[in-house]
Amino acid sequence: MSDLDDFRARVREFLDAHAERRPHGTAPKWGEGEDRLSGFTTHTDEEEKAETAAARAWRRELFDAGFGWLTGPVEYGGAGLGPEYQEAYDELAADYRIPGQRCFVVGLGIVGPTIAGHADHAIKERYLAPLHRADLMACQLFSEPEAGSDLAGVRTRAVREEGGWRVTGQKVWTSGAHYSDIGELLVRTDPEAPKHRGLTIMIVDMHDPAIEVRPLRQITGNADFNEVFIDGLFVPDSHVVGEPGTGWRVATSTLSTERRTMSRGGNTRDYDPLPRLQAAARALGRTDAATRLQLAELTVLSRVVAATTRALAADEERAAYAPALGKLLMTDYLLRLRSVADHVIGPGIVADTGEWGTWAWHELTVRVMSQRIAGGTDEILKNIVSERMLGLPRG
Amino acid sequence: MTDEREQDLANLREMVRDFLGDRWSEQQIRDVMADGTGGDAAVWGRFAGDLGLASLPFPEEYGGAGAGWTEVGIVLEEAGRALFCSPYFASVVLGGAALLASGDERACARYLPGIADGSRRATLAAPEVAGYRPGDQPRVTATRMDGAWTLDGHVAQVVDGATAELVLVVAETGAGTALFAVTGEPARTPLTTLDLTRPLARLDFRDTPAELVGAEGAGAEILARVLDVAAIALAAEQAGGAARVVEMAVEYAKVRRQFGALIGSFQAVKHKCAEMLMLAEGARATARTALDALDRDDPEVPLLARITGVYCSDAFVRCATENIHVHGGIGYTWEHPAHLWFKRAQGSRLLLGDPASHLERIAELTEPSGLDELTTEAATA
Repeated sequence: MSDLDDFRARVREFLDAHAERRPHGTAPKWGEGEDRLSGFTTHTDEEEKAETAAARAWRRELFDAGFGWLTGPVEYGGAGLGPEYQEAYDELAADYRIPGQRCFVVGLGIVGPTIAGHADHAIKERYLAPLHRADLMACQLFSEPEAGSDLAGVRTRAVREEGGWRVTGQKVWTSGAHYSDIGELLVRTDPEAPKHRGLTIMIVDMHDPAIEVRPLRQITGNADFNEVFIDGLFVPDSHVVGEPGTGWRVATSTLSTERRTMSRGGNTRDYDPLPRLQAAARALGRTDAATRLQLAELTVLSRVVAATTRALAADEERAAYAPALGKLLMTDYLLRLRSVADHVIGPGIVADTGEWGTWAWHELTVRVMSQRIAGGTDEILKNIVSERMLGLPRG
Repeated sequence: MTDEREQDLANLREMVRDFLGDRWSEQQIRDVMADGTGGDAAVWGRFAGDLGLASLPFPEEYGGAGAGWTEVGIVLEEAGRALFCSPYFASVVLGGAALLASGDERACARYLPGIADGSRRATLAAPEVAGYRPGDQPRVTATRMDGAWTLDGHVAQVVDGATAELVLVVAETGAGTALFAVTGEPARTPLTTLDLTRPLARLDFRDTPAELVGAEGAGAEILARVLDVAAIALAAEQAGGAARVVEMAVEYAKVRRQFGALIGSFQAVKHKCAEMLMLAEGARATARTALDALDRDDPEVPLLARITGVYCSDAFVRCATENIHVHGGIGYTWEHPAHLWFKRAQGSRLLLGDPASHLERIAELTEPSGLDELTTEAATA
């Protein structure tokens, strides 16, 4: 038995003991299960709390069984295994009902890899294992009211003090700040240096009284993201990631990781809404030629996005910028899917008529738009692709 | 994929790219366009004979290298980049896949070694290969008299039909369809083509002697397999072509100045180039995924073949179109090479079925009954 086979057997054993197996076959059954689209659902505050609690409990069990961070270095709590083990785990886990992992998209999908890639030994040792065990939750404090697409224009100031930095400023669009314990903060440490050279990344304590988190109501009607006000927060030198002044390089790497995550649908299982849309077309009796061809076109795009994202992930030479391209492809696909959903679902997408499986689609209608903005707008990403991957001159 | 195999594939790609870099030029493309032969015999001799590239997909017992379709895809990606004109697609892919799919050991032993060493150029004559929909064109009929078969009828468009030494035909026998190897001589009429780099000819059969290849009645199954393999192989060529025209557009945007600036510094142009790269990368990844599925005998091959038929065809046409647009007036001239890739893209898009027909088939395959069909094919494969 190979190591990988042995690993699969152990994963299977763990999953059997800790999770319910899903009925065989992944095709969604119409009228059964949650009338929601995973990945495009707005939860009430209560639901979000319950989901987050369940997800954290699951992560703890997973971590304690040795499966919580398969590809991470052993000295920081990882299992030190190759990506093929993660693939094997994902494949097996797809057969089980596991609490939604959405609350980890930022902490494990974005902040964790940044710490692992850029922070010094002490920060890694202190935070990586607790993040992967869900003892700590993390958020990303990048955007500001005056620094959106022009992210390098951040104004949040860090002033040198004995043993650290005193930080004052304001961040915005911070997902999950309200349940986070630590934050990855982008600040200006040198106002004299050229824009991109005066920035630094710090890890901050979100429970510090100098930080105030105010929920922001989104287009969905709920408050998943926040404004974060920072007033005289002290950050010790030990919590600076990399050297002061290298923040732009670290932030770029963080954003690249974020885009890679977004090009895979946030690593959410059942993220691709297409099987559900196909099921809807059958259930609603949409057999017209326009529906059939539009769904076929989505099948093409869905497969192309998956194939391309996989290929780009394996492309080490272009790893830094390729996620921008993957995210653009995913965005195009989702926008096209939204338009086809209008045709397939029909009026049930704009009014809750009580008919199962129709009203849930309005969430996708709205949420898809954040895909085009978060982690870099389409336009910023096309600049990155054309300048960094194609070598075209900056305007 | 193991590191060793990845290294082998990278070596193969480098070898093909170096060879074509040394031996294949725009002037040779234009010579082929003028003489209508579809290739340069000397270069083909080295490509197929010396480098052994035509032998890749065939078993060793038939003179092949026993490699996979992934390797063929690498050759075709590079050929597509360089717009290398050769019998490769018609002979190795269409002819080779048809013989392999027939399961006819005698025919394979007789014909494949010549295809594998490049000395015998093959093609497959069937309306569907040139993109006609089923029923558009009457099929050639085959008649048996005293144990010998003859063919009657015509095929309107046959890739390399004027030059292939071995013509395979899918014909109607009265008991379904079957594959035949023509042993007599059809009348060959070269056609004026939009894409002069890939010649097409009309073939007329009249009491033309032929031999049955594979079982009588197996023609439809053989043809379906060839169309799958060929769509995926063609997708690799299209992906290579798309990558090349993106490079051409980007190279030009880096040197052409207007309004006192390089046009590649204008967002309207650089975003267009970024969109072209998205298409080209999507085409390449999709083609490679499908080639890998072919080598693994994945039950999804029929679906993936249609997906490549839609996406890679459209991606190449769109990139080739935008390449001309980025070049402006100079890109619309005969002397500039941009139109060569555009016409290859346009011609390729209408081989093996156009994207809309592929979409129709994808719709069938992804409906519940279609999924059963895929599963059944997997069970019987």
